[in-house]
Amino acid sequence: MSKPLEILLLDDEVIVGKRLKPALGKIGCAVEVFQDSALAIKRMQEKEFDIVVTDIYMDGVDGMQVLDLVRKKSPRTKIIMITGHAMISLAREAMEKGAFDFIAKPFKPDDLKAVIARAAKALGAPIQFDDKKVGG
Amino acid sequence: MPGPHPPISKIKKDDNGSRQAGQFDHGSHLSKDGKTFFFFRHFSIRDQIYLGTILVFFFALVMILILILNNNRVQKQMKFLGFVNDFSLEIQQARRYEKNYFLYGTNLDDALENIHMAESIFIKESEEFSKLLGGKQALQKIPDKILAYKTLLEQLYLLETKGKNRLSIKSFSKEDELKLRGFGRDILTSAQLMAAFEKANLEKTLFRFQYIYVYSFLILLVFLAINSYLLVIRLYSTFKQITIHAKRVSSGDFRPIILRQKVRDEFTGLLTSINDMLKKLDLRDAVMIQDHKIKAVGTLTAGVAHEINNPLNNIMLTVHMLLEDYNDLSKEEKIEMLGDIAAETDRSKKIIRNLLDFARESASTMESVDLSILLKDTLRLLESQIRLSGVQVDLRCAKKIPKIHGDAQKLQQVFINLLLNAMDASIKGDKIQVTGSLGDKANSVKVSVADHGEGIPKDLLPFVFDPFFTTKSKGKGTGLGLSVSQGIIAKHGGNITVESREGRGACFTLSFPIINFPENSIFSS
Repeated sequence: MSKPLEILLLDDEVIVGKRLKPALGKIGCAVEVFQDSALAIKRMQEKEFDIVVTDIYMDGVDGMQVLDLVRKKSPRTKIIMITGHAMISLAREAMEKGAFDFIAKPFKPDDLKAVIARAAKALGAPIQFDDKKVGG
Repeated sequence: MPGPHPPISKIKKDDNGSRQAGQFDHGSHLSKDGKTFFFFRHFSIRDQIYLGTILVFFFALVMILILILNNNRVQKQMKFLGFVNDFSLEIQQARRYEKNYFLYGTNLDDALENIHMAESIFIKESEEFSKLLGGKQALQKIPDKILAYKTLLEQLYLLETKGKNRLSIKSFSKEDELKLRGFGRDILTSAQLMAAFEKANLEKTLFRFQYIYVYSFLILLVFLAINSYLLVIRLYSTFKQITIHAKRVSSGDFRPIILRQKVRDEFTGLLTSINDMLKKLDLRDAVMIQDHKIKAVGTLTAGVAHEINNPLNNIMLTVHMLLEDYNDLSKEEKIEMLGDIAAETDRSKKIIRNLLDFARESASTMESVDLSILLKDTLRLLESQIRLSGVQVDLRCAKKIPKIHGDAQKLQQVFINLLLNAMDASIKGDKIQVTGSLGDKANSVKVSVADHGEGIPKDLLPFVFDPFFTTKSKGKGTGLGLSVSQGIIAKHGGNITVESREGRGACFTLSFPIINFPENSIFSS
């Protein structure tokens, strides 16, 4: 493993970041966790992340706006949307706007890991993750 | 139906418990009403018209009788006047002949004949004559005088027939002649007196005719006017009351109509039918409210189903991490994670309980309701929808809003309805203002929901509470929300109004009366 994958995780649910940060750390990701989208956007202005994982419905700037911003600012960044309001229309809209993938809550840490592994592969920086138990 | 009004208990039984959801107290009103219908005397409008007509008929009959009697009297008087005239003519003729006799010695037999005629007339009409001449005395006087006059004439006639020259009749003295003339004059005077008296009588009778006509006409007119007035007042006041009630019904208040009726009449039947209809409408309304609630529950369920994914996700992530790293985690970390799981399950429970509280089909219970608490609960229930729509809902409640008497579940249905509408009208980032305050006159509580959407066009404002009126796209709105809300508010004795300026948003204001209950304080602590 060379340089760790830089991931920004944005979800207004505190527990999501609290649990996923160590989980993703274990597969070689450097995770920055945010609950406030404004702060996350500010951070993204300073630093380019490899992957942005964002919730969709939040107070203030929501996930779709974050998606637009990131797409504009750094096209190579992969964006993974997570939401409890999993609706086909919403997923389609996100994918059309250029999201890398769309994960419906509730999900297992491994589900996200698998998507991140695919994203890393797409970025040309594959990570070690055995997603056999996830596939399908 | 056995009677005009079916017994209340029976209706309640037919109406199987669960349907009582939208029912507000109907029974006590109706039974009171029913009693009123049964115990009061029956006096219908038809009876009043019949009675009026019969009275007019009898009055007219009496009038006609009086007129006939008066007419008979006139006829009699005229006939009698004729007789008096004949009588005096005969007497006059007799006197003329008698005078001739004394001057020329002729016509004595003619004079006799005339006096006989006069006598026969008098005898024939003696009864009438006696009345005119003031009793028996006068009656006795005239025939006496006629007799005396006749006797003197007959004596003269006797002397004449004995072939004696009138000049030679010495036995018929000058004194007798004067006597004869005196009698003649007296009789004539009496006859003329009679004629004058009878003429005056006739005039009096004719004058009475005029009186009878004028007065009976006036009385009839007054009677008809009074009867019409009473009839109109009766009809008008009842129609007015029914109109007021109809307006109330159209705003969704289906309480039965109770008229201030003193008697049973046609309206009683009409009211019984209207009240029957109102009861059925109320049942149907309850069904409609329930249907609408089920739809709202559907909308909310979708939101809640999504909302619950958040705590569920937190639990899932935590549990998996706990499983994965169990051996590497410190005791404190494990306890923290388990604590998170406990907190998130509790959060899930609350999300579901809010919805279940609202969705539960319960009998209508009127209780003391704290609107500020109810509004907070409602916003929590709508959390997911609010989050989805991206609007901000700002709730401001005055510190001490008096409690109102109401059905919390139905009121929540109204709030949900208004808030969902406001959210539909708003775009992302808009603000919805919910305010709870004391009414202007301090005898009511006001709740308003204001959005900053497009507003309602002025020409559509009067129709927003009409059933099936909607501006939403097909399949999105039923057009029943505001109509159902209005019905619910009306049943709470309150009202709902809307203000809107195009482009500036709409504001719906609910107003509820504060009802004092002696058993508990109305002010929330």
